[in-house]
Amino acid sequence: MDELRRYLAIVRKDLRVEFRTREILYTTTLFALLLVVIFAFAFLSDPAKSRDYGPGIVWVTVLFATTVGQNRLFDRERENDCLWALLLSPAAPSTVFLAKATAQIAFALLMQIPTILLILVFFDLRVTDPLAFVGALALGNVALGLVGTLFAAMLMNSRMKEVLLPLVTYPLFVPVVIAGVKVTAVAIGAPIAEDPEVWLRFLAGFDMIFAVVTVALFGRMVRA
Amino acid sequence: MDKRGIGLSAIGYGLTVIAAGFLAAALYAVFFIAPQEAVLGISQKIFYFHVGSAINMLIVFGICAIAGLVYLSIGNVRRSWADVADAIGVATAEVGVTLGVVVLITGPLWARKAWGTWWTWEPRLTLSLMVFLLFLAYLALRAFAGSDRFGRGVAAGLSILGIPAVYFIHFAVDRWGGAHPQVVYKGGLTQPGMRLAFGLSVAGMFLLSAALVWLRLTTERERQRLDALYLEVDRRAG
Repeated sequence: MDELRRYLAIVRKDLRVEFRTREILYTTTLFALLLVVIFAFAFLSDPAKSRDYGPGIVWVTVLFATTVGQNRLFDRERENDCLWALLLSPAAPSTVFLAKATAQIAFALLMQIPTILLILVFFDLRVTDPLAFVGALALGNVALGLVGTLFAAMLMNSRMKEVLLPLVTYPLFVPVVIAGVKVTAVAIGAPIAEDPEVWLRFLAGFDMIFAVVTVALFGRMVRA
Repeated sequence: MDKRGIGLSAIGYGLTVIAAGFLAAALYAVFFIAPQEAVLGISQKIFYFHVGSAINMLIVFGICAIAGLVYLSIGNVRRSWADVADAIGVATAEVGVTLGVVVLITGPLWARKAWGTWWTWEPRLTLSLMVFLLFLAYLALRAFAGSDRFGRGVAAGLSILGIPAVYFIHFAVDRWGGAHPQVVYKGGLTQPGMRLAFGLSVAGMFLLSAALVWLRLTTERERQRLDALYLEVDRRAG
């Protein structure tokens, strides 16, 4: 029970700071919207074909904008070595990690709501299976959030964290992107023979296994 | 260099000589004993070293992940274990990436002849590429995230996460690839000359990898000792 209170306290702290400054939300949302515009100029030659590349655009935008946000996630913890203060508090390292990951996933989802609506409008996509569409994004964001938060924390003090973070996380994100693109394609009615349920289960499995491994690793990595 | 150091590098040079012998025998077997494949002709001979490198790449990366596990578990308690595990991690990752380059150069060469294209997104090929990229990222971490405890810890963590990641990537690219060309060696090597050449290539590449890992490992251990000496000098002077 105490751990739950500590977890909620850290999540509340992050959300409050963010809603007062809007640093991450404002910058990542704007970045994502600009990406969508660029993609429109780069790909939108034949609107009839938008169902072919629409899923890819959704996921590349999600991936890039989330990475930009993850790079900023531990900015406040870096100042005055506040991450050590958090770790010295009675909260277990896994509680600190899960709280930061929760905040990250919340920021990413908030940023994606206007972004994805804009993609649907700009590329004239119709969601035929809203449950699968939202499910893939939710499960995918949990996966990105867990892995990204782990490495964002570890690379917090690195001079080259901006480039190192995607270098490290993108190979691990490849299965998430594959699964996400497949489900999104089915959900917008693209003519492919795929069972979205298999890929949603796959994403859920990814989330579960990586939740266990990243939580176990975080405590050891900060102590190593 | 003290006596122990000389003994350790002697093992490395010994391994190198044995590996050279095996690789020479493998080359002989590949070109003079193994018969030419009926359909693919001479291009099939790339297969012996291609698969030999691929198998050893996976072995070496597996050891790297185990070293990462040791570093983050036992290494947290015992400093000396941490240093050894860390040195093994660097050595295996670098040798594995080298083997990966061999795999990714010989693969397309063969694919061009066998399938008529330099690259296909065939599951096995895609998986090799992803594992290769994962460990290139590992080396980037080692080079640029700092050699302090933080940098070493994050690299070890990445090598461990590689294990579940490879499983998921394997499943995903398998389903994603859809219809892919039937891999030629599915039926197995029935001809004894081919089997001999294949066995010698795999063993030769294994010994070569072992020699390279060993030499890199001893160098890294020397570097660690030198670092410790520098710290000692600083401490005494200060």
